[in-house]
Amino acid sequence: MKKLSEKTLKKSFFRWFFWNGCSQQAESMQGMAFGQSMAPVIDELYEKKEDKAAALRRHITLFNTEPQVGAICNGVVCGLEEANANGSCTPELISSVKVALIGPTSAIGDSLWVATFIPILLTICLSISQTSESVAWLGPVIYMLVYPLGTGILSWNLFKLGYKSGIEGMQGFMSNGRMNSLTDTMTVLGLIVVGALTASFVNFTLPIQIIRDVFDATKGELLTNQVIFDADKIVNSIFPKVLPLLLTLFVYYLYSKKKWSPLKLMGLILVLAVILTFIGYATGFYA
Amino acid sequence: MQIYQIILIALFVYLGSIGSVVGNTIGWYTLGRPLVASLIVGLIMGDVQTAVLVGISLQIMYMGNVTPGGAVAWDLSYATYIGVAGALVFGKGLDVTQVIGLAVVFAGIGGLVGQIMWNVSYALNLPLNRVAYKYAEAGETKKMFIPNLVLGQLIGFACRFIPAVIVLTSMTAASGQGDFASIIPGWVTTALGVFGGMMAALGMGIILSFLLKKKYHVIIFLAGFILVTYFNLSTMAVAVVAIITAILYYVANTSISSKREETL
Repeated sequence: MKKLSEKTLKKSFFRWFFWNGCSQQAESMQGMAFGQSMAPVIDELYEKKEDKAAALRRHITLFNTEPQVGAICNGVVCGLEEANANGSCTPELISSVKVALIGPTSAIGDSLWVATFIPILLTICLSISQTSESVAWLGPVIYMLVYPLGTGILSWNLFKLGYKSGIEGMQGFMSNGRMNSLTDTMTVLGLIVVGALTASFVNFTLPIQIIRDVFDATKGELLTNQVIFDADKIVNSIFPKVLPLLLTLFVYYLYSKKKWSPLKLMGLILVLAVILTFIGYATGFYA
Repeated sequence: MQIYQIILIALFVYLGSIGSVVGNTIGWYTLGRPLVASLIVGLIMGDVQTAVLVGISLQIMYMGNVTPGGAVAWDLSYATYIGVAGALVFGKGLDVTQVIGLAVVFAGIGGLVGQIMWNVSYALNLPLNRVAYKYAEAGETKKMFIPNLVLGQLIGFACRFIPAVIVLTSMTAASGQGDFASIIPGWVTTALGVFGGMMAALGMGIILSFLLKKKYHVIIFLAGFILVTYFNLSTMAVAVVAIITAILYYVANTSISSKREETL
């Protein structure tokens, strides 16, 4: 019975953790990185050159996942290679399992970790930096410690989980409703925080105002340059910050429904900003 | 900027890019985030306070730029390091909103270079597959690091470090031409401020596209919005409220689904 040593597993994990993105391209995506991560495992499990070559070949093919959560795939494949070396698995099965793992792991990794955990952590760090100018450095420092350490621990544990419990364990981990509940929960958390961020950071004022000289009848004097109409104030008194809210939802609509690229959106915002500035100068909003 | 400052910043542009030698977790997802990048640029340039202030705004704007290989993938590290450095170099004597506006413009320039170089490195990495295949064919387990780590990194380094040095050097040269605060007309800096404030909607809009999965989700987003506008809570306070809500939601959700299983 062949058994992978803890040292080899660690080697394999660290190669993946640090160098999963080194040679990303359109042909095999992270394939070469996956091959490099499996190399020590293959070296330990197989004696003959032909077996090593065959194993390496099946691991430099197309592979693409969210690499941090996706470390669980590497764990599962380590377990399968071990079984294969002991004659209880086939190369075909390994390859098909690997391809099957791409979808669910990247979906969970992208939505749960990358698109939800990172923004939430960043938000918390942003608010820390904002509390006072003298501790502005604290936010980034906390992020620099919490994110890599937390992710490293998560990634290593997922890798070990994949190796120990194999494909059945992983199916259990993903199909019992708990994973769905966790994703839903993170979505709720993310949405509230993004709502707060939108309210605090997006600025969009309507620079339209009318300035007139007003005659104050009670005092009998002429007041010059009084703002008698301020469009932005009126809009905000009905629903505070409604314009930033609408702008954000509009950008969301263009990006996700109309498939505009971020660069195109940036261009649109630039044009809008220039137009608004001119309106603002014309009406005397910006002096 | 001094030569050592240019080299240090260019080095961090590389480290914070996708697939640098320190890994995506420490590189792209940490050093590449505008908030972190601004602290590093601030330390290198000797003005942490202004740098982080600029970094906060850039971070909000680029909040949506998260997934390498995904729809919005390009080297954000270009945008953030060059954006913050540019704002510090040219923004002397301007007030904060205008400095942020400048940062947005320089981040745009950096981002454009980043997008081009990302595509270049993506293409240059293709032939590495042949090298990997050759070693795999020969069963050379000890040499599998060569195509991925060594060659991939050489290409990655060349595509990030060199263009960053060129951009930063030309920025330094341009800043020597005169006092920008007095050259730029007032309406330009106003427009930059307006632009910077509106650009935050871009980051939020893209993040929403990941999060809004069901129709009623808009309501939850609005709840967070209203906590700030009507209740005047700080973002930190809302984050705490959000965590509490999320835990309650999770408990309720799992207990409902386990009850359902019992009745089945």
